[in-house]
Amino acid sequence: MLEIKNLHASIAGKEILKGINLHIRAGETHAIMGPNGAGKSTLSAVLAGNPAYTVTEGEVLFNGKDLLSMAPEVRAREGLFLSFQYPVEIPGVSMTNFMRAAVNAKLTHQGLPALSAGEFLKLMRAKRALVELDNKLANRSVNEGFSGGEKKRNEIFQMAMLEPCLSILDETDSGLDIDALRIVAEGVNKLHNEQNATIVITHYQRLLDYIVPDYVHILADGQIIRTGGKELALELEEKGYAGLIQ
Amino acid sequence: MSVQELHIEAGEHKRLVIMHVGEQTARWQIKQEADSVLTVHLFCLDMQSDAEVLLDIEQVGEHAETYIYGLGVLTGKQHVRVRTHVLHSVPNGRSSQLLKFAVKDEARAEFIGELIVAPNAQHTDARQTNRNVLLSPTATMHTQPQLEIYADDVKCSHGATTGQIDESALFYMQQRGIALDEARQLLLTAFFHDVVSTLAEQEVEERIQNKIADALA
Repeated sequence: MLEIKNLHASIAGKEILKGINLHIRAGETHAIMGPNGAGKSTLSAVLAGNPAYTVTEGEVLFNGKDLLSMAPEVRAREGLFLSFQYPVEIPGVSMTNFMRAAVNAKLTHQGLPALSAGEFLKLMRAKRALVELDNKLANRSVNEGFSGGEKKRNEIFQMAMLEPCLSILDETDSGLDIDALRIVAEGVNKLHNEQNATIVITHYQRLLDYIVPDYVHILADGQIIRTGGKELALELEEKGYAGLIQ
Repeated sequence: MSVQELHIEAGEHKRLVIMHVGEQTARWQIKQEADSVLTVHLFCLDMQSDAEVLLDIEQVGEHAETYIYGLGVLTGKQHVRVRTHVLHSVPNGRSSQLLKFAVKDEARAEFIGELIVAPNAQHTDARQTNRNVLLSPTATMHTQPQLEIYADDVKCSHGATTGQIDESALFYMQQRGIALDEARQLLLTAFFHDVVSTLAEQEVEERIQNKIADALA
């Protein structure tokens, strides 16, 4: 599904990713862990097409297509979803209008007719229940005045609405208490199936108790320095990054 | 130049909607008697280049209220100047102004907000807010709030900001599959919402939304 080959990327002339290689197949969950500044968020930003970053070398194939040549919105419509570490507040734009524009853009891209107002609201209701997102939140402006936990639940709600084939969860656990973490993780697990894949970017092993990865990759200084099964996260928890990086 | 004179009688409520200014310069000269309420909705959408709108309002009776809601969308080489001149001559008056502009390409917008509180106009409550978005690096906005306050027991405030469209919000929307143009339009519609919604007329609101969309296309 996703094939990253020797990916190098920089921001403001500073190289952050220094040759990433990663292969993700449908049905898999991959965790990417690493210390601050290792390039975890840069990797997700580059895959999503954030214009602040420049790819200097390498190639990324997404379902066989050249991901890096696509505009960010095309990547999204092709099924790539990024759950933001810091979801953006958009005052004045209602969640409903925002999601309707997003869902219909994807349907149009697939050559399907847009949803009627009734169908759309029905879909919103069904997906909202998945992450226990209050109707009040769904009627507000995008992320405006949401608590940290509500913002993260809102990300997973949007993921449920868009049914991506590849979801990248960037530090979805940051700022969440244990109850909110469980709700978010359960939402992610319910959405997971044999046709889609998930990349979980996290600092801590804790999230991986709830979202169990098939593979764990350790990212340090812009490169993946180790890959293992879920037990690697436990080893990391025990030895710390310093112990593993040596 | 055409000058339209309006006299708003005591206790009268008057609404003035300025949708299209075909002339180079349009000027309204308005006097408000006691307890009158004037609401002006100004939409600078189809302006001629080098057009100028002047709103000259004087409160001559006490407890009068003046509300000005204005927006402008300027593109190409348009140059539009909006000047409001609100004079509180008597005590206990209230005025509130909210003007927003989005300027694109090489267009230039000017807002001059003159607010005068005469020496005996105590207990005046006067507010002026001007918010602007530049949509291109070559677009320009000149904003000039001019407050002259000669009374000492008044509430007066003004604020003016000019910025760019929020890039992080644009990327967030793109990441959900929304095209850049549509994302920009959603953000601008949101930006103008508090001005447009004051009209509370669905049909006019839709016309304005369409104009905004046309201007951005």
